[in-house]
Parts: sequence; C-alpha cells; structure tokens
Amino acid sequence: MGGFWSHVVEPGFFQSQTVQVALLVGGVVAAISAVVGVLTVLRGQSFAGHALGDISATGGSGAFLLSINPLFGFLGMGLAAAGCMEAIGVRRVRGRDVATGIVLGAALGVAALFLYFDTTFHSTSGAAITVLFGSLFVVSSSTVPAIIACASGALVVVLVLYRPLLLSSVGDDVAAARGVPVRVIGGLFILTMAVTVALSAITIGAILSTALLIGPAATALRMTRRPVTATATAVAIGVAATWVGCLLAYDSFYWPPVNHGWPVSFCIVALVFVFYLAVDLVRSFRLRRTNLPADKSNGAVVRAHPLDTLSTGIEAASASGSE
Amino acid sequence: MFGSRRLSRLLVATVAAGGSAALVGVMAVATSSAGAAPGASSGRIVAVGAENEYADVISQIGGQYVRVTSIMSNPNTDPHTFESSASVSRVVSAAQLVIQNGVGYDTFMTKIEAASPSSSRKVIDVQHLLGLPDSTPNPHLWYKPTTMPAVAKAIARDLTDLRPDHAAYFQQNVQIFDASLTPYYQEIAKIKATFPDAAVATTEPVADYMLQASGIDNMTPWVLQADIMNTTDPSPQDVSIQDALFTGKKVKVFVYNQQVTSSVTKAFYKLAQHEGIPVVGVYETMPTPGYHYQSWMLAEADAVYNALASGKSSPKL
Repeated sequence: MGGFWSHVVEPGFFQSQTVQVALLVGGVVAAISAVVGVLTVLRGQSFAGHALGDISATGGSGAFLLSINPLFGFLGMGLAAAGCMEAIGVRRVRGRDVATGIVLGAALGVAALFLYFDTTFHSTSGAAITVLFGSLFVVSSSTVPAIIACASGALVVVLVLYRPLLLSSVGDDVAAARGVPVRVIGGLFILTMAVTVALSAITIGAILSTALLIGPAATALRMTRRPVTATATAVAIGVAATWVGCLLAYDSFYWPPVNHGWPVSFCIVALVFVFYLAVDLVRSFRLRRTNLPADKSNGAVVRAHPLDTLSTGIEAASASGSE
Repeated sequence: MFGSRRLSRLLVATVAAGGSAALVGVMAVATSSAGAAPGASSGRIVAVGAENEYADVISQIGGQYVRVTSIMSNPNTDPHTFESSASVSRVVSAAQLVIQNGVGYDTFMTKIEAASPSSSRKVIDVQHLLGLPDSTPNPHLWYKPTTMPAVAKAIARDLTDLRPDHAAYFQQNVQIFDASLTPYYQEIAKIKATFPDAAVATTEPVADYMLQASGIDNMTPWVLQADIMNTTDPSPQDVSIQDALFTGKKVKVFVYNQQVTSSVTKAFYKLAQHEGIPVVGVYETMPTPGYHYQSWMLAEADAVYNALASGKSSPKL
C-alpha cells in the first residue's frame, strides 16, 4: 500500500516549498473563483468574465515592463476594464458583446505590444507564457499575503451583496421593483469579478483564468439549482481540480519526457473540464434511464438546463428595461 | 522602469564596440537609408556580428578596414527571445562578412541570409567552425576559452579574401588578439589551481563553458538550467534541489545570468543572499560601453575568483 501511495504522491510533494505555496494560493483562488463564478453564470456574465481575464493580460504584461508584481498589473488593468465596460454599457443587451469585444480586442493588441517590449528591451524572460498561461509553481511566496487579502475582499463584497445579487440575476426590473439599487450592485459585482479574474490570472494565466471562474460554477449548477448548495459544490470542485492538478503536475516530472514536469495550468484546466464532462454524462444518463414524466411534460427543460431559461429571462428582462 | 533612460541606453548599446556607428536602432537605420549601401563609399568592409562579442572581435581584427554592426547588444535583453525586424534584415543583407553563433541561438540570421542570397557574402557560423552538432545542449559558445582564437583566425582568413592587400595587417591583429587573452586564461588557471572542484550554483548555462574550464563543479541540475534558458516552468523537484544547495550551504558561489531573469531566478537570488552566498552576475552579450571581449571575460572570471576567495558579491559588472 505504501508503495502504491508513493506513486500517487511522488516523494517530496508536501516538503517542497514551491508546492506548499502553490497549494495555498491555488486553494484560495479556486475557492473565491467558484463563489464569484456561480453568480457570474447565474447573471449570464460569463463572456464578460472571460473578457476581463484576457484584458488583464495587458496589465500583467505591462507589470513586467515596470518591474512590479504581475498581480498588481492584472488587478489594475482588470479593474480599469471593468469600469470601462460598465461605463460603455455592458448592461444593455444590445451591443453588450460588441462593447466587450471591442475593449477586449484593443487590450489584447496592447498586450502584444507590451510583451514585445518585455522580450526586446527587458531581461524578463518568458513573460508571454507566464502572463497568458501562468504557473502556480512560479508564484512568489511574497505575493501570498496580497492574494489572500484580495480574495478576502472579494468574498466580503459577495457575502454582503449576496441577496441583492441573486435577486438581480433573475431580472434587473424585478430587483429594482424590490428596491435594489441595480446599477450600483451590478457595478460592484463586475469590479469583484475583475479582482477574482486577476487572482485567477496569476494562478493559471490570463487566457485560462475563465476556466477556474466558469468551469466549477457551471459544473455545480448542472448538479443543483440551489445557489448556496451550488456555491459549496463549485468550491469543492474548484479546489479539488487545483490541488489534484498540482499533484499531477508534480508527478509528471517522472512521466515522459522524464525530468520535465507538465504545465500545472494544463493539469488544472483539464481536470475542470473532466469534472464538467463527467457530471454532464451522469446527468444525461439519468435523464434517459428514468425518463421522468415530469421531464416529458416540459420537454424543453429536459434538453436545456433550467438556467438557460433563467438567463434568457435576464436578457428579456434587461432588454425590456433598457428599451 | 521602462523609461527614456533605458531606451537611450538601448540605442547607445546598439552601436558596435569599436565600429563607427552603423546601426542606431530602427530610427537611425531608416534615416541612414538615404546614404544607401554603407561602406561602399568609404571602401570599408561591411561586417555584422549577430552578437556584439563577435562584432567586437571583427573590429579588433579588421581595425580601420571594417565597419561593424552588432545585432544583439542590449544587456537588458534576453537574446534567446530576440525578435528580428526589418532593419536587421537590411543590415545583414548588405553585409560582406557575417558572424553568427549557431546552435539555434540566432536562427533568424540564417533566415535573413537565405532571403537575400549573395555569393560574395562570407558567413562564419561558429557552431560549424568548431565542428559542433546541432544537438549541442549549451549554445553559449563564446564562453569556451578556445572559441574566440578560432573565430579570430577565421575572420582574418575571410577579411584577407576580401582585401588581400591588407593580409599582413589582419594577421598581426590576430596575434595581438590572441596575446591579449592571456590575462583571462591566467585567471581561469588560477581559479582551477586555487579552488579545485569548487561547487557553484547557476540559473542558466550561459557561463558554464568558462566554469568548466576553471575546474568548477556546477551543482545545478541541467534540466533546471535548460528550463530557465528556454523560459519553460521549472519542475518543483528541481527547484527544491536548487533551494537545498543554498540552504545547505553546498555551494560557494551563485552564478546569476543577469540577462535571463524571471520570478524563479529572482527567488533563487533572494535565497542565496539570505544564506550569505556570494552572487556573481554574468551576461549573455558583452556589456557596453567599457568592455571588449577579453576584458569582459576577464572581469567575470575575476568576479568568480573574488567570490571564491573572499566571498565578495558582484551581481553586476
């Protein structure tokens, strides 16, 4: 048995300081990403979340030029982009993805310029890989307090605004009718999302950050429709994927090509995807086997997830609200 | 900071040591295009060194008969990730003599040469000159003490082909160059004799050939050095081994590549400092101004000796 476990957890895993930092940072970031992610999916803002990640790449690559901690680059640019997207009207359904897409394209262009400067005029090597695809194994231990502080801040905002956020995810006018300051709440949430995505960007890279934000949340919401249960499930999935991903990346040192570990970001994202597929498979298998009369009665819901109708509801509600 | 200071330093550094300013950044190349083929009017041989240490040796051998440009010369740039540009293509395609390192270090040179074929252009590929295979793991050939004398000889041969009337002059410069390497050779011999098998750690294989010649034992796993050189993420296992070299005081010196840095190398740097292990900064390309190839190598060997002898750190040249 001991022999088996020594192959599952290769020697030195828990002693390695690199791994300790990775497990701590990865766990914290996966948890807050899952919490914010559930609300992001419920509010139908997945694309905005992805865009924030890509845009934060500009800040990350700029940080290398300024020789500052990339986390602050990701954070600064993410927050600025969130403010910008809020200002030019991501809330309006018409033109929402257009506005996001235009900001996203421009920002990635600037990121390309910064990365060129990073490699041409600066001794920082591998900035492109680090910014875009990240690595939990190169997160400096001096960044840990800042990461935990940001994650705690995001968590506090979510906890304080939890009810109004949920309410406005059903529909802005419903929430407004109940006295929720929809605009303020929406603005605060997109800023929280920016902080979360920045944390995720430092963990698994700007391009992949959306995987930690949306992946575990979407998987959990396929398992349960209750927001609190879904959040707890998403946290469990996110943290599990991150920790097991770290372990796989560590063990991959002994896989071909021997003595070269596989990228930890790949391992994490692959696991997030596997979780999603597995839950989806189990779900469709169950639906087919039981063939519940309830499902027959509203056939559309059998194929489309309840949340799909929910998000359509949001679109309809906010469309009618803005026009 | 990426300020005007860095930019101006880049522009200054682009000027080949000893050569008369041929390439001063993209802007200057654009403006000098009015003068057309540089060198044609002055009668000088137009030469290019892909790395400024090779350009420096060309100008030492060719003296007043060459006009030399270097492509990679910014000490703040990682040459492994250098991106070529149109201005580089112009300079290379106009050259009569080109020196490049090979071993995948400056592949862009071969591409530019192929794009503008010229039967009169002479190309010295140092890898081929030394008869090394493409699979040579460490591309930093100029750190091998035997490399530059061979390169100097090849330069003199090609320059003589281009200007046979100055053959004696080029030959004399080769002798002067070879003799000027003596202090460097003496320094590495001194390290070898005084501190046999001294253990050091490195970030990247840049100075490995020099360390080997000095009889130094580089304890850093090769894969870690290669990962840092190739800017891929090092495995936690290798990072733990390297950390243990510092915390266990198993190494006398930490040889730090100032031109290939990342959060990983910076963490090692901090740890080495914390453990009181002297740090010696080494460079991919020749720090300019103020250095020639010989004085650069001597300064780095000297810094390694001082670190071993008295624990003195010299993180920068």
